[in-house]
Order: sequence, then C-alpha cells, then structure tokens
Amino acid sequence: MMCRTDQSVPEPGEEQDVDATDAVFTALLEDSAEELYEQAPCGYLSTLMDGTIAKINATLLEWLGLERSQVVGRMRFTDLLTVGGKLYHETHFAPLLQMKGEVSGIALDIKTADKQRMPVLVTSKVKTSEEGEPMLIRTTVFDARDRRAYEMELLRGRQAAEEARRQSEADRARLQEALAVLQQSLLPAELPVVPGLEAGSYYHTASPDLLGGDFYDLFPLGGGQWAFFLGDVCGKGPQAAAVTSLARYTLRAAALHDPDPVSVLTTLNTVLHERYASGEGRYCTAIFGVLQPADGRVRLHLASGGHPSALIQRADGSADYLPTPGGLLVGVLPQAPFTAARTDLLPGDTLLLYTDGLTEARTGPERELYGDDALRAFTAAQPPAGPQSLITALSGLLASFGDGLDDDTALLALGVPSLPSIASEDLTT
Amino acid sequence: MSPLTITTRDADTGPVLEITGDLDHHTAPELRKAVDGVTVDVGQLLVLDLAGLDFCDSSGISALLAARNAAIESGGHIALAAVPANTARILGIVGLDQVFSLHPDAATATGRSSAAS
Amino acid sequence: MLLLAHGFGCDQNMWRLVVPTLAESYRLVLFDYVGSGRANPSAWDERRYSSLDGYARDVLEVVEELDLREVTFVGHSVSAMVGVLAAAKAPERISRLVMVAPSPRYIDDEGYRGGFSAEDIDELLESLESNYLGWSAAMAPVIMGNADRPELGQELTASFCATDPDMARVFARTTFLSDSREDLKTVVVPTLILECRQDVIAPREVGAYVRDTIPGSQLVTLEATGHCPQLSAPQATAAAIVDFVGAAS
Repeated sequence: MMCRTDQSVPEPGEEQDVDATDAVFTALLEDSAEELYEQAPCGYLSTLMDGTIAKINATLLEWLGLERSQVVGRMRFTDLLTVGGKLYHETHFAPLLQMKGEVSGIALDIKTADKQRMPVLVTSKVKTSEEGEPMLIRTTVFDARDRRAYEMELLRGRQAAEEARRQSEADRARLQEALAVLQQSLLPAELPVVPGLEAGSYYHTASPDLLGGDFYDLFPLGGGQWAFFLGDVCGKGPQAAAVTSLARYTLRAAALHDPDPVSVLTTLNTVLHERYASGEGRYCTAIFGVLQPADGRVRLHLASGGHPSALIQRADGSADYLPTPGGLLVGVLPQAPFTAARTDLLPGDTLLLYTDGLTEARTGPERELYGDDALRAFTAAQPPAGPQSLITALSGLLASFGDGLDDDTALLALGVPSLPSIASEDLTT
Repeated sequence: MSPLTITTRDADTGPVLEITGDLDHHTAPELRKAVDGVTVDVGQLLVLDLAGLDFCDSSGISALLAARNAAIESGGHIALAAVPANTARILGIVGLDQVFSLHPDAATATGRSSAAS
Repeated sequence: MLLLAHGFGCDQNMWRLVVPTLAESYRLVLFDYVGSGRANPSAWDERRYSSLDGYARDVLEVVEELDLREVTFVGHSVSAMVGVLAAAKAPERISRLVMVAPSPRYIDDEGYRGGFSAEDIDELLESLESNYLGWSAAMAPVIMGNADRPELGQELTASFCATDPDMARVFARTTFLSDSREDLKTVVVPTLILECRQDVIAPREVGAYVRDTIPGSQLVTLEATGHCPQLSAPQATAAAIVDFVGAAS
C-alpha cells in the first residue's frame, strides 16, 4: 500500500460537474470551485500515501511563502513541519491516520519561508479506492495562531495552578508535621513508672491543622508522693498551645513548691490572670491531684478548676464521679474558688480523668450529647481490669463516635493494681 | 454549622447584642469585633442575648469572657440573657454561672438592670 | 515465540497489520508498557520510567511471568533499545533481537549524527503539551469505559495513541534524551535491524551505525517511508522478520 507514485491520482476539484443552479450562484459570486479551493480561508493539501505532496492550494502556499513548483512532487507533508512537529507526526499522527483513516484537530507547527513558526490545526483523511485500497491523503490546515496563543495561556495557567497546588500541599505537609511535633511536646513522651500504681493515657487529635489545647502529666513530688494533672485550654491553635505549655510548666513548678491541689490551681490562676490580664484573656480548666500510696491503698487528694469531675471505676464494678462542683475556670478572676475532694483508691480501683471532648461528643442520628451518665454507665460496664484496659475501651468508644467527636480529647487513667496487692496479702498471712 | 450573626441595639440600660448561630473557633473573633464596636458607659449594662445561639465551644466561652472584660474595663457590667440549655450546662461545669449574671430573656435583663440602677 | 514491543507514541495496536502473518508461523506475545495503551495506570512510577531500564524491567516481568524462553524480541523504535537492555539482563530467555527503526541516540554528538538537536526535542515535548486539550476528548471513552473489554474493539482504535500527557512526557523525555550507544556493544544474540528508506526519526546513517556497532548484525532496508514500517509496509516487515527468525532457528 506504499509508494503509488506511478498511479494517476484523481484530484479534488478537477472533475466538477457543476449543475445549473450552482452555475447561477457561481456566476453571481464570480467564483468557481477551483477558485474556492485555491483561495479558501484554510490550507488544502493532497499527498500520496508516502506523504509526497501532489496538490496544494494558494492559501497554504502563501502561508508557507513557497512557490507551487518548489513543493509539488518535491516535498513531503512532514517537510512543512517543524522538527518537533515531525516527531509528533511520526509517533502519533501517522500511526493514527494509518489505523483509523482519519485524524482531526491535531495541533502542529508549520515552518514558513521567513523561518517563522505558524501554529495550525491539521485534519487528514485517507481517500480509498472502491476496493478499499488507500490512495491518497487529503489534509486541511487551519490557521491556529490566535487559538494556540489562547491555549498556551490556558496551559501556562494550568501549569501555574499545578505548581501552586504542589507547593501548597508541600507546605501543608510541613505544617502538619510541625504541628504534630509541637502537639507531642505538650504531652509527656511516656508516662513515668510509678511504684504501686498503673497508668494509661490517650490523646485524640480532632484536626491535624489545629493544635488542640488538652494536656496532662504525671510526675514525682518526692517522699513517695506523685502528682498528676489534666486540663483543657479554651480555644485552639498556636495561642492555645502557648497557654498549654505555660499551664503545664506552671503546674509542675507550683506543685514542687506546695503540692496542695487548691494552692497549685490558685498559683496557675494567678499566673494566667496576670499574664493575660491585658488584651485577650486565656483560660483553662484543670484537675490537679496528689497521690500518696499507703497501706496497700492510695490516698487521693485533688482539686478542680471548672473541669468535669473525675470518674472512679471501683474494683467491685461500680463507677462513680468524684464531684468537684463550684470550681471556676482558671484565669478568669484574680481570686478564684477551686473545689477539692479526697478519696482512697483501693486495689483494683481506677481513677479516670478526661477532657470534655469525650462527654460533649454527639452520638446517633439525632446527634445527642453523649454526656456524663452514658460515660459512667460505659465505665461501669467495663471489667475492672486496670487503667490500660479502661483506656483501650475508651479509645474504642471515641473511635465509634466518628465525626460526632469534633474536639481534641485527652484521657488519663491511674489505678492501683489488684493482683500484686492480693499476692502481698497472701505473703503476710 | 450555622453562620454567626450579631445584631446590635440600644436599650435604656446600654447596648444589647443579639447573637445567633454558632460561636466557635472560627466565629469568635466576630463577637470580639462586635463588642469593640459598642460603647458601654460607666454603670451601663452590656447584654448578650443568646436566644438564637446554636452552638458555643470553649473558643466561644473565651469570647464571652472577653466581652465581660471589655464591659468591666469601661466601668460597666455584663449579663447573659436567654442562655440555651446546653450552653448554660457548660457554663455551670466551668463555674461561669458564678461570674455572669444570667437572665431568662433580654427584656428581663434590661428591665431588672434599669430597675436596679 | 515473538514478543512484540511498541515504541513511544502509541501502543500494541501498532503491530496489528503484521500480526496475522506472524501468527501463522509463531506464538505471539503483545503487551503495553506501563504508561501506554491499556496498561494499569496505577502501576505508573515516574522515577522508574525515567530511564529505559524501567521499561526493560517491564519486558523482563512479562517474560518471567509467562516463563517465556527462546524469545525473539521485536522492538519498534525506542523499544529496540529496551530489548538490548532486557537481552543483556536475561540472555537465557531472549535469544534474538529484531530492531525496527532503532536509534541508540537521537541527539547529534561529536562524531555522531542522530538527526536532532536538544532544542528539537524540547519542541516535541511542546507538541505533546499542545495536543493535551485534544487528548482529553480522545481519552474519555477509555476512562469511562469498562477496562476488561475484549481486545481490539472499536473503542481501542479510538484511543490508540491517546496516553496520559504526564506519562507521555516522561516516556518522550526518556526516549529522546537517552544515549544507548554503549549498550549496543553488549549485544551477543543474533540481531536483525529493519530500517525504512525514508525515516525522519531514524535516518539511514543511524541504521548503519547500529549495524556497525552490533557485531554480526544484519541490516535490511525496507521500501517504506516514515518511522512505522509495520504500518506502512506490513507485508515487507513481516516477511523480513520471518526470514530472519526462520533462518536463525
């Protein structure tokens, strides 16, 4: 099917059978099919199957700045193209044309005689004989200078948008990484090992983009005593994180000075109130407590400033709040009331501290408040198997809230192990 | 999510801000701006009418406290009116029911205050 | 056993006019490189396919997966070089090479004429970009259609040559910027080089260079124009392959 140079090829426009009506119009327009072909507002080109140009119209010759005699029988279609266009023609255009018999709207550049590039849109169709043998390729060439300039603008726009998107995704990833590191720095890397006590904790981050303001810690006071706290800074973001950091270190320092829970919260209150007295206030809720192991039990003394009451899961399977009503959000007033409470943790008992992301979560299709009662019931339904097991159950509960949980949530559980103390009782008897 | 709208009007007792929609991390700055935009004279009462408040988180509570600070700095007082049950519950947990005077509605807040002054 | 590997631009449909003849004498295996035709686009890995080795790994994975031996690798255009790399790595499987319109380096170098300058290649990449808008329309039926449709349907010819522009750009860069002249010297298997009398992409001096560099290779010039003799002169192309494989075996 190649190289039919010996064949006489019928050309378009040569055998026009102009009927009477057409003749009238043609006469009126002083036009002819031949003139229409030559002077058409687009380029026409007929080539042999090997690309040799057999016929070309005046419009295209004018664009090319070439004489008919230089082109016909002497040049191939690809000779009119820029090198990039040639490559594209050979790798895409020609195979597609061979395969489908036509190709339309392909963007190529032709070389003009004055060494300029002219963007064009090329459509080609293979003419076949009655037996279906390919005979020649007819091609139209449209001036696409304006269109291509416009497309180039679109492409540039697309490239710029893609670059901006890549950049912003990278920025976002970096920011999230920095935020995650910062968030981690607000919490103990891991809880210390406390003799005669088990501890577990969990932190749920609601949004990787916003630093949460929940915090907790557990640390020794000396003399066999341990202190713990858990709190929640009002608001989110970097300002809240700054308060979190301030609150955490203030609580630790204050506890070493005077571990009485109300005194410690009072110190934090003074610091926050003074630090943020002018301008925007910054507040937090917190529970601070001291643990004193003694006689196989742990004496617990804690105080709350506006924080939800601690919950105690008893070894007998019951669960009750340790109420601390009336304590005020820390940092609001220069002199603030804080409410203290005391109890003993016996072997198998677990103290749970949490932030209100847990109790304020929404559940069910009605998005009802999860609430204190449900938390107590859930905890009572768990076997009294120590802090780690309670934390595991609660983190499962948090996960089950799905998008009903839209706040950061911190959990800290402290318990007196049941087994070792039974063993020690056995030993003493 | 409902957008926050704040309408300001003047009562005999001082400015009343009607707050509707969600008061959260994103919208709290709008309340602060609205409070900056009103003048509370010495002895006047700034009333925040929360009848249309749909949601209030800890950022929103901070904004309420910022309004309180602004009112007190200019020698006035603050009252919250028609606090929705859920917000009232949270105010109770954090002890702020001791800090704000709460009224069943704006009329009571402005009426009581003018009667008291 | 012939393994037919398409080049840059289109997919395995490039072989459809020679397949009937070749299938009379041989078992044929056709495939699309990742990033072309109907290969799973999720297998795309820009780094892997930024060198011809990545494409050679595709070939090795095909021959290993199908456990092919005594393979005659028929590679068109850049695939001819991919075949050289694959044959060096798996000489126990690839026993003959047919290089259709090969070029080990497209860009001119000192003492070597590949036919193109670096600027020409940039221009090609630009041409690919220019046809991006047309690509979307051509690609739509494939994206929306069912991937496990039978071979060679009407839709396939419609999508023939339609490749994801980002993948095509990487393949083009890899194809036209690679220099595989040194690799030609590693060829030890019987090799047939098919060139066209007129080929703007792989001119005749490049065909001669390949023949001179691969010891004992055989060069056949087809009476064909263009870069794809398997489409423009399928009978002659198939006959030359049959001659070579028949003679060599």
